[in-house]
Amino acid sequence: MTAAPALSMSGISKAFPGVRALDGVDFDCLPGEVHAICGENGAGKSTLMKILGGSYRPDAGEIRLAGANVHFTHPRQAAEAGISIIHQELSLLPHRTVAENIFMGREIARRGILDRAAMRETAAALLCRIGAQIDPQAPVSSLSIAMQQLVEIAKALLLDARILVMDEPTAALDERDSRALLELVGTLRGEGVSIVYISHRMPEVTAIADRITILKDGRKVWTRPREAAPIGEIVRAMVGRDLEDFYPPPPASPPGAVLLAVKDGANAALRDIAFDVRAGEIVGVAGLEDSGKGALAQALVGDAPFSGGTVALRGRPVALRTPRQATAAGIGYLPGDRKREGLALRQSVRDNALLTLRSMAGLFTRPGRGAFAPRAIDGKLRDMDVRAADFGQEIGTLSGGNQQKAIIVRWLAQASDILVFVEPTRGIDIAAKAAIYRTMRAFADSGRGIVVVSSDMPELIGVADRILVMHQGGISGQLPRGAGEEEVMHLALGLADAPQREARA
Amino acid sequence: MTTDIAKNKPAARGLPVAVLLAGLSIGFFVAVALATGEVAQLGGQGIVGLLQRMVALGLVALGQTFVILVGSIDLSVAALISAVAVLASHVMQGDPAMILPAILLCLGLCLAVGLVNGVLVAYGGINPLIATLGTGLIVQGVLAASFGALQGAVAREFQVLAYGGVLGVPYSILLLAVLSLAAAFVLDRTLFGARVYAVGGNPEGARLAGIRTERVTLSAHVVASLFAGASGLYLAARLQSGTPWIGRDGIYDLESIAVTVIGGTILAGGKGGVAGTLAGVLLFASLDAAFNMLGIDAFLKQVLRGAIVVAAVAIHAVRTKGHVA
Repeated sequence: MTAAPALSMSGISKAFPGVRALDGVDFDCLPGEVHAICGENGAGKSTLMKILGGSYRPDAGEIRLAGANVHFTHPRQAAEAGISIIHQELSLLPHRTVAENIFMGREIARRGILDRAAMRETAAALLCRIGAQIDPQAPVSSLSIAMQQLVEIAKALLLDARILVMDEPTAALDERDSRALLELVGTLRGEGVSIVYISHRMPEVTAIADRITILKDGRKVWTRPREAAPIGEIVRAMVGRDLEDFYPPPPASPPGAVLLAVKDGANAALRDIAFDVRAGEIVGVAGLEDSGKGALAQALVGDAPFSGGTVALRGRPVALRTPRQATAAGIGYLPGDRKREGLALRQSVRDNALLTLRSMAGLFTRPGRGAFAPRAIDGKLRDMDVRAADFGQEIGTLSGGNQQKAIIVRWLAQASDILVFVEPTRGIDIAAKAAIYRTMRAFADSGRGIVVVSSDMPELIGVADRILVMHQGGISGQLPRGAGEEEVMHLALGLADAPQREARA
Repeated sequence: MTTDIAKNKPAARGLPVAVLLAGLSIGFFVAVALATGEVAQLGGQGIVGLLQRMVALGLVALGQTFVILVGSIDLSVAALISAVAVLASHVMQGDPAMILPAILLCLGLCLAVGLVNGVLVAYGGINPLIATLGTGLIVQGVLAASFGALQGAVAREFQVLAYGGVLGVPYSILLLAVLSLAAAFVLDRTLFGARVYAVGGNPEGARLAGIRTERVTLSAHVVASLFAGASGLYLAARLQSGTPWIGRDGIYDLESIAVTVIGGTILAGGKGGVAGTLAGVLLFASLDAAFNMLGIDAFLKQVLRGAIVVAAVAIHAVRTKGHVA
C-alpha cells in the first residue's frame, strides 16, 4: 500500500480469431518485488507478457508504469520504458562475442561508428554486477546454456530495466544452475527491480516469489502473497485438481525380468556405465547439466553410441551403432528438444505418429494398409487421448503435451520394449504432465521398461521407481523410490561421503 | 554457474580461415609457376595479372557477402552486371563527357534493382532464392530483347579504369582494395555492420532487440546490387562494349556465392566476413592462372573448380563439426 506499483496492468483483454486469450486481467508488480505468474499453457501468460513487451496491442485495458499511462506499438518502446523480457528461447547470436550480444540493437556508436572499447567495458561491468565470470570477448557458442542465460540477463539489464520479465528462465538449466539463477533474482530484487517470474516449476515459484498470480483460460483466478499459497493450492487453482493424483501411484507388483542390461558402457562422454532395466520399471536418470545424462540417452538410442561395453536386450546382446539399429532392437527415443529432433512440424499428426513405422518398413510395403492405415493409427492416437480437431492437421499447431503424446504413439505402434525419455515434460503444462506420467506408468505396467532422463528433480522422484544419479560421465549412485532431493543432489555433486544406498530390486 | 570461467579461446573469427586459404592459393600458384618453368609469372607483371583476375568476381562477391551475412542471397547479380555493362556503353557512345552520367545512371539502375530485391525479400517475405532469381530473369529478358537498340561503346578515357594505373598498380586493383577495406570497415566497425550480423544470426532475436530487421535486409540487397554495378562498369571498361551475356558467361551469380561460402561465411547468415571472401576470390584467381600455365583445357578446368568448391565447403563442415563436439 505504501509503494506505488512499478507496473500496473488493468482490465487487459485480447482476442485472437476464435480464442479469447485474455479477459479483463489485472496484474501489478511493486518495486523490488518478485511476482510469479502461474498457469497452464494457453492460460494467457505469454499473451499478457507479449502485451507488456509491446509485441501485441491489447483490445482493452491500460498499462501504467509508475503511475503513468503508456501505449506500446513496438518492442523497442517497451524496452526504452524500462521493461526487459528474457524470452524462453534464447535470442543470442552464437557466432558473436558476449559483448556484441549484450549490445545487440543498442550498440554504442558515434556517427555510426562502433565504440568497441566502451561496449567491452560496460559489458564487463554488467557481467560483474550479476556475478558472472564471463569474458566479454568470448564467443557465445563457447558458453554453456547456463552462462548464455546469464548473458541474456546482462543484456536485459543494459537498459537499466526497472521491470524484468523472466519466462521459464530455468527450463534449460539443471538444479545447480537454477539455484544460482534464483540467487541472482534475489539480488536484483534487492536492487529494487520488479521481477515478473513465469515458471512451471512449483518449488522455484514458492521459493522466490513474493506474490503469486494464477491465470486460467485467460482470466485471473487469484493473486496471493506466497505465505497464503501452498503448492497444493496453486496446482488446484491452475487445473482444478489436487496434487495427490499428479504422479501415478507406484506399481503394485515388483518389477519382472531384466529387459535391458548395460555393462561397462563407455564412450567419449561416458565411463563404466552398468545398469539394467526390468520389465515394468521406470528408471530415472538424474545429474547436473554436464554429468553425461544426456550422453547416456544418446548412447542407448544409437545416436552417439557406446564405443565399449555390451548392451543386452532380453538377454541377447545387441549392437546399437545407429538409431536404426536401436529402433529395430526395440528401443524408442523421445528427445528433449521435440521441435527439432522429435517432430516434422509441418506434417500431420498422423504422419508424425507413423514416422517410425514407415521408416522401418520395407521398400515395397503398401502404405495405407494394416498398421499403416489411417484408421489404425487414428485409433491409437485416440486411445492416447491426443487432442486435435483432426489428425490430418499440422502437428506444430498442437500443444506440447499433445505433441509428446503423439510421439509416444509412434513408439507404441513400433511395439518398442524400452522407451528412452529425455526431459519428457519440458515446457508442458501441469495437466498434460500428469497425463504423460500416467502414460509412462501404463507403458511400464504392460511389461516394458522406461529410462527417463530429466533435470526436473521432483518429476524424477515422483515418477521413477529407481533413480540413477550421474556425475562426470559415470553413475555415482542409485536411489530407490522415495529418495529425497537432498540425496540426489549429494550424488549429483559427486560428494564422496554420499549415502551409497544400493537398491537392487 | 559462476564458478567456472569461460575459456577464452583465441578469437576464431574469419581471419585464420582467410589467411589459411590465401596461403594455400599463393602456394599453389607459386608451385605451379615453378613446376612449369613460367617463373615470369612470379614477377611484378605476373602478380598484377593474378590480382587483376580477382577484380570482377571480387567486386560482386563483396556485395554477395553482405546479403549472405544477413541471411539472404542474391541470384540477380549476373544479369545486373550485363545490364550495367550494356547500359554504360550505350549511354557513353564513346563520348568522354557522358562518363559521369553513364555511371550515375548505371548505379541508379542498381539501386532500383536492389530496392526491388530488398522489398520482395524483406517486406514481401518471398524466399530470396526465388525473388532474386525472378528479378534476374526479368532484367536478363528485357536486356536480351532490347539489346538491338542498345549498341554502343564506352569512352576511351573510361577504359583507363581497366587498363590504366599508378606506379604499376592498375586502378582496378586499387578500386577492389579500397572497396574491400570499406566493406570490411562497415561490417566490423559500424552500427550497420553490427545489425547485419544480428539480423543474419537471429532474426527474431534482432527484432525483439528493437532492430528494424526489414530495413537491414533491404539495405544489404542494395549494397549487393551496387557492388554488382561496380563489377559491371569494370567489365564494360575492359571489354569496351557490353553484351547481355557477360554476366551469365562469367557465372558471377553462382561463383560469387561459392567464393563467399569458401571464405567461411555461412549460408544461414550471421558469421563470416570480407577477408574470407577475398581469400576465396584469390583461390579462384590462382586456380585459373595455374590452370592456364598448365594448359588444362576449359572443360577439365570447370570440373576441377567444381571439385575444389565441394572440397572447400566439406572442410568447413568438418571443422565446424569438430568445434561442436
